[in-house]
Amino acid sequence: MHPIHLSRFWYPVAFRFAVIGFCAAMAEYIFGTPWGYLIALAGLLLLIAFHLFYLRRVETWLQRPDEGAEHPEDLPEGYGAWETVFSALRRARRREDKRRDLVAETLNRFIEASSALPDGIIILDQGDRIEWCNPSACRHFGIDLARDQGYLIANLVRQPPFTEYLVRADFREPLVLTDPTGKITLSVQMLPFQETRRIVLSRDITPFVKVETMRRDFIANVSHELRTPLTVVGGFLEQLIDQPHVPAEQRQRIENMMLDQTGRMQRLIEDLLTLSKLETQASPAREEEIPVQSLLETVASETRALSGGRHTILLDTFPVTLRGASDELRSVFSNLASNAVRYTPGGGTIRITFSPHPEGAQYSVADTGPGIAPEHLPRLTERFYRVDKSRSRETGGTGLGLAIVKHVLARHGGRLEIESEMGQGSTFRAILPAARLTVQGSH
Amino acid sequence: MVKEHLSTQYDADLEEIRTRMLQMGGLVEEQVSNALAGYADGNSPTLDRVKATEERVNQLEIELDDRCTHLIARRQPAAGDLRLVMAVVKSITDLERIGDEAAKIARIAKQMHERGIVHLSGFSDVRVAANLASSMLKGALDAFARMDAEAAQQIVMQDKHIDSEFRSLLRELITFMMEDPRTISTALDIVWIAKALERVGDHAKNIAEYVIYVSSGTDVRHSQGQSESTALG
Repeated sequence: MHPIHLSRFWYPVAFRFAVIGFCAAMAEYIFGTPWGYLIALAGLLLLIAFHLFYLRRVETWLQRPDEGAEHPEDLPEGYGAWETVFSALRRARRREDKRRDLVAETLNRFIEASSALPDGIIILDQGDRIEWCNPSACRHFGIDLARDQGYLIANLVRQPPFTEYLVRADFREPLVLTDPTGKITLSVQMLPFQETRRIVLSRDITPFVKVETMRRDFIANVSHELRTPLTVVGGFLEQLIDQPHVPAEQRQRIENMMLDQTGRMQRLIEDLLTLSKLETQASPAREEEIPVQSLLETVASETRALSGGRHTILLDTFPVTLRGASDELRSVFSNLASNAVRYTPGGGTIRITFSPHPEGAQYSVADTGPGIAPEHLPRLTERFYRVDKSRSRETGGTGLGLAIVKHVLARHGGRLEIESEMGQGSTFRAILPAARLTVQGSH
Repeated sequence: MVKEHLSTQYDADLEEIRTRMLQMGGLVEEQVSNALAGYADGNSPTLDRVKATEERVNQLEIELDDRCTHLIARRQPAAGDLRLVMAVVKSITDLERIGDEAAKIARIAKQMHERGIVHLSGFSDVRVAANLASSMLKGALDAFARMDAEAAQQIVMQDKHIDSEFRSLLRELITFMMEDPRTISTALDIVWIAKALERVGDHAKNIAEYVIYVSSGTDVRHSQGQSESTALG
């Protein structure tokens, strides 16, 4: 034991015994033997009472650990030997409080860190009941920790593949789980820990699945679009070989149709190349000042030629110059206009307008066609997306026009807006930013 | 000592019954979503899977029936436990019927796609009714898992929406059939599908009513919220 500590404990004790001994000796000297013993006895009893009193106070303090924990200072000061006991207890208490705060803080930090994770974590107890989970897991599986703690996971996540995965208990491979509504796809992996417990990790892989599907669809679509004209050309060639003496008139018709088909393939490949060029280059290669009015007049006359007089085509524009890649922007304007011609029945009206817009200017093409159902609108700019699969290819489009429009506009800081009502017609708007515009004669 | 062991085993048996029933619910949910996905995109393997799952659903129904009978005979459950067992016995019948409706949707969808869908331009489709039916089924099973009477009450209320959705679909389809007789066979098929969805909603509502019965002992079937008869307590 430490010498100072020793002295602080034993000196008061020795002092008290000395006082009692001295008093007893004095009493014996003055009043005689029985009085001396009596005084010694009384002194010792007093000392015992004093110690018992403090022992009781320690006991009461220990009885209420919660209140004592809140107020380590409540512990009495003590006297003599008790002072050292009390101060040691107080020190121990404070040390413990500090350690508890530290543990609580570490735990809190851990929970906060896991809440920030994009991946879901669920901790299951030995009976596969939910013990704890982070907010991502709540979102992935539609569970609420406050309400669902202690419930069996299999009762709440009921997809048969998940139940089988739980039962099979072979967790080497993650499980791909699609929500019954088909909105999210999760990669779920179970990890055993602490002998009987398990952790469920979930990761939202919806974007990857979507990209994968788009890639697969794209390849399937490209091959399909290229094969169709090839089949037609091949068929005609076979016919020409089998029947070398076709009347000149019919031969010419066949040759024209073959030319049509090769033209279609060529347009498709050109569009594909344009798209891949647009995707690989971040910004327009060569920018120039384009007089909008004359460009739109060319577009309108091309559109009239395509329509062949079946539609009324109106042009309304104002004098302005636009800075950008001229061939790209021209493809935006003519793509939107030719789409309107293709999808509007004869006799309809197509209104091509270039007008000011709060963000700069807008190029809009409004038609009086059949309109597009709302569920198709968000997908129109996808490559090869067809609203009516059976009909659109006959109209001569490649299925890539709107994808190109969207890319070009994005490169020029603009965007495409589509508005349509069934039976009323559609309006396609290309919004161009003010930074690219110069109104003629304004400076 | 022995008694304690027995009652733990009893609790485990009860829990097992509930878990099995929800597992069956999971299979049925998958059937419904597969049938609807197959109807939307005409994917025939997805539609075939609905039929294949039916076998397992039926097996589970028989197994659960057996388990419940045994539990009642051996343990003689009372009060809340008995209500739970009774609710499971009834729910599995409803679940099995939902499975049948899903199979019906799959069968009709397959015929429609094989024959080639006649496009009804401007038709709003059964999507709203389909979403309502699947969300009611999911909600009812979730409420069963949590024994959440409040959520179950919500499901019971939702049944009105799906009924009115069915009626408006019917009106719309009748208009199509009157205008153009070529659409009749497709429109009739859609009516069958919509009817099946409406039935799915009804069965989901039944399950939700059993949840209220288990958690509060009140039988809310056939009551419009005014008169309630109390069941065994």
